Amino acid sequence: MNYLAAFVMAIISYALIDNVVLSRFYGICSFIGVGNKVKSSLCMGAAVSFVIVMAAAICYPLYNFLLVPAGVAYLDTIAAILVIACLVMVVGLVMKKFLPSLYQSLGIYLPLITTNCAVLGVVSENIASNLDFGMAMANAVGTSLGFTLVIFLYACIRVRLEASATPKAFKGIPIALVVASLMAMAFMGLQGIGV
Amino acid sequence: MTILWSILILGGLGLVFGIGLVLFGVLFHVEEDERIKEVEKMLPNYNCGACGYAGCHQMAENLVSGNEPMVSKCKPGKKDKNFDPIIAYLSSHPDKDGTVHVPK
Repeated sequence: MNYLAAFVMAIISYALIDNVVLSRFYGICSFIGVGNKVKSSLCMGAAVSFVIVMAAAICYPLYNFLLVPAGVAYLDTIAAILVIACLVMVVGLVMKKFLPSLYQSLGIYLPLITTNCAVLGVVSENIASNLDFGMAMANAVGTSLGFTLVIFLYACIRVRLEASATPKAFKGIPIALVVASLMAMAFMGLQGIGV
Repeated sequence: MTILWSILILGGLGLVFGIGLVLFGVLFHVEEDERIKEVEKMLPNYNCGACGYAGCHQMAENLVSGNEPMVSKCKPGKKDKNFDPIIAYLSSHPDKDGTVHVPK
């Protein structure tokens, strides 16, 4: 029971308090790039979530039962990148087959999940802070929930922003960055939750 | 010993993932216009992304479908080596319904 409570608390903490985009500043590229349409932002969130959770689930046994016993723990980063790249390829193949229009609309940002630092960040954080498998998964699930939530909110704001009168110099990305910073400040307020 | 292990582990991982990806590729195979492959061969194949697409394959797709009218968006491509053959190929190979998309 205690562990379950800790698990849920860890998810909330990773999703809201230590939000991956707004307080750790990981994964900004796809956040800015895809966060302009609500539908594609949700799909991007789903794709990134799948990659994060699977990468964390695969890298944990890979590190603890293969790299460490063999005495080559320093290979963690390159092994994680291998796993992530492979997962992204799988997501791309599946999406191309079943959701071709979505595949087109995500465009370059889909293969770019490979270099999305949110994914590698979760994996190497799990290794660096010596989390056990449950907590590693809590980190992965919380981070991906946080990413999806924030990119979705951001897309909703940006859709309304396009309809509003912004100064000409701020049209497009500049005002979007201002919005992102305001969101980051708003999320700072959640640090008072104190899990 | 460490060197041997690292070579074995990384090589083994690469092999396992490679085989897995091949299986996935066969399982989720999508039939494509065969001209895409030909155009892709004629691009430089650096996959640098300077054209704004995810790689040479996507650039080739858009050239063939006519969504991309500028073959010269490909930055590392040379006019006589890449662009001219692509233009010649696409003008002699129309779509199924007969439309010709010739990029510039």
